Amino acid sequence: MTKTKTFDQFSRRQVLAGVAAGGAFAAAGTLGVPHIARAADPVKVGVVHPVTGFLQFSGTQCRFGALAAIEEINAAGGIKALGGAKLEAVLGDAQSKAEIGAAEVEKFNEAGVSAIVGAYASGICLATTQAAAKYGIPHVVDVGVNDKIVGRGLENTFRFGPGFGSITKAGVDHLIAINDAAGKPTKSVVIVHENTTPFGSFMAGLLEKNLTPAGFEVKEVLPHPTGNKDFNNIALKIKEANPDLVIPSHYYGDGVLFLRTLQRQRVKPKAIYSVLGGASSQYRFVNEFPDAAEYVMDCNHWFDPRKEAAQALRKKTEAAGKSFSYEVFLAYEAMMFAADAMERAGSADRAKIIEAMASSNWSGHFMPYGPTKMVNGQNEGAQAMVMQVLGKDIEVVAPKEFATKAPVFPRPA
Amino acid sequence: MTGANAQRAGWAILIAALLVAPFAIHSGRWMEFIELTLFAALLGQGWNILGGYGGQYSFGHALFFGTAAYLQALLQYKLGWSPWVTMWFAIGGAVAVGAFVGFLSFRYGLRGSYFALVTLAFAEAFHVLSRSLISVTEGGRGVQLALNQDPEKAIETFQFTFAGPFLSEAGYYYTILFCLLIGFAVTGWLNHSRFGAQLQAVREDEDAAEALGINAFRVKMGAICLSAAVTSLAGIYYVQKFLFVDPGIAYGPGKSVEALFAAIIGGLGTVIGPLLGSAFIHLVGEFAKETIGAMLGDRPGVDLILFGIILVLILAYMPRGLVGLAEVIWKRLSAKKEDGHA
Repeated sequence: MTKTKTFDQFSRRQVLAGVAAGGAFAAAGTLGVPHIARAADPVKVGVVHPVTGFLQFSGTQCRFGALAAIEEINAAGGIKALGGAKLEAVLGDAQSKAEIGAAEVEKFNEAGVSAIVGAYASGICLATTQAAAKYGIPHVVDVGVNDKIVGRGLENTFRFGPGFGSITKAGVDHLIAINDAAGKPTKSVVIVHENTTPFGSFMAGLLEKNLTPAGFEVKEVLPHPTGNKDFNNIALKIKEANPDLVIPSHYYGDGVLFLRTLQRQRVKPKAIYSVLGGASSQYRFVNEFPDAAEYVMDCNHWFDPRKEAAQALRKKTEAAGKSFSYEVFLAYEAMMFAADAMERAGSADRAKIIEAMASSNWSGHFMPYGPTKMVNGQNEGAQAMVMQVLGKDIEVVAPKEFATKAPVFPRPA
Repeated sequence: MTGANAQRAGWAILIAALLVAPFAIHSGRWMEFIELTLFAALLGQGWNILGGYGGQYSFGHALFFGTAAYLQALLQYKLGWSPWVTMWFAIGGAVAVGAFVGFLSFRYGLRGSYFALVTLAFAEAFHVLSRSLISVTEGGRGVQLALNQDPEKAIETFQFTFAGPFLSEAGYYYTILFCLLIGFAVTGWLNHSRFGAQLQAVREDEDAAEALGINAFRVKMGAICLSAAVTSLAGIYYVQKFLFVDPGIAYGPGKSVEALFAAIIGGLGTVIGPLLGSAFIHLVGEFAKETIGAMLGDRPGVDLILFGIILVLILAYMPRGLVGLAEVIWKRLSAKKEDGHA
């Protein structure tokens, strides 16, 4: 009988030989043969997100949204102007690092992609759009809200959704309107924000700048790093400052922990009105922690709830065991925007798609934006909405034309 | 051919191959791959000077990378200085931070894990400072440099992305290669100089070295300053290439880990080790991505598991890294040759 070798019976030489052989195989496999494009080829689209690393959750959500869009486009007959050419995703993982994101763009270029959709975080988007510009690859930014991503003179870069400036302005304007309509019950504010990435700090600065002239007293601005392990200290500071209003702005994990800590510490301001709050308008949070979420308001990306396509995507997302978060529908719509530009261009040529994106007046989406109007790469019609968790569901409370319920402000004591 | 001659020939071939790479490789993807490999090798080389030659294992080399990156970016962003001027301040700043940390650590005789923890703590302290000193560092929003798309100003602005065909492809590559060659030169000098011998003596047995009249404090201070200077070159390159730096990029643990991995896997206290280590890490990573990706489809992160397993195997079976392995193979081959002649 032949005896099976156990691992410790392999010599060091054998293990190393195996590793070396693997390396040689890798080199052969990855260098590969050059890609030869054919007329019948599907149209390739680079899909880059941080699907590993500290932004993994959001990156995976984005990837799901982008791939769901491709699946639907292909099921509906592909790009009709190109004879029904199917879209083919070339996947990239930015590993939550800007330099890896830029390297993935090089991979996309070699693969012959006609456009790129991604890359969730602002820091990564800055690098990927710049790398894509080198090759004239149209790049649709799905989430990255930093205003500096667009308007740098990069002709290839487009953002279908709103940026920091526009979201903050909408957040403050709607807050003032809601507060005024309720008889100005809130006057003092504490802002809590993450300060690890460009997102939270920028947001907090803009909020403070806009709230003070509107008559609010900003009592405290409390920063914390992303992945903060304990919000008790911040909750106690809020308790001491006793503001009427708390405005949080951070990523999902911090958002959940922060709101639950407020609940546990019995900190009950008249309202919690977050701006780009990571957890406040996420179905996952509402489902898992309904009591902590109730009455929390959030100015954020949201879809037009009256559109059937939005509800269909929600069902599809939930059927896949995922939460219908902003990452999913923004990446989905970014991909749809890219496909629409391909239809308009009637070509898979990068320059023609860029032209089509720049002059796009797409209205077939389910966002509350109206027809697309790109100015320096930014969709000027894009806007954020205000949601509130009411009756264990997320309702749109502003602007009025999209509202599904009236805001409950201040929240019941 | 004698061992020394073979080594010289090997170096000449390697440097020649690296110099002609942009002419021979017409794939942006592979050029980027090599650039990232050289970048990690440079980080590893910076770490190797202090950790490999000096035996002072730092867990916070991001300190020097980040300080240089921030100074390079901030002086351009806030004062409008030329990148060619700011780079000297970036190097100087990193060396000053190195001297500060080194003085505090070595003056009070911190060694081994204590030194490692102090460097880790300093890197984290700088991480927090860079987030909190918003008026100086722009906080978490980071510093973004203006993008130059005028090919005429590519050299002046130290930005090659949109330069003419050759500079666009090769500008950053030659920048990082030049920096790495400086790293090679420094470690090559350490191999042959009196200072290098003193540093290695301190590494082997600090008390014995002091008994022989070597001023260990002075030698370690020199090593940390040199190490910081070489690491700072990686920070300058990063900022000029990606035009953006934030606290996580600058002082997060990622760069520290990248640096020590390249040096340890390649071979501590050797000139070529960090490059070999970095090349190996990147090749294995790429191999894992391609093969696992092809086999399992959309399974993000599975490639990293295989990558981790291979790294553990290497660390377990090759304590002297890839250079150690190469030496063993070379010795066996030489012994066989001699047996054949006998």
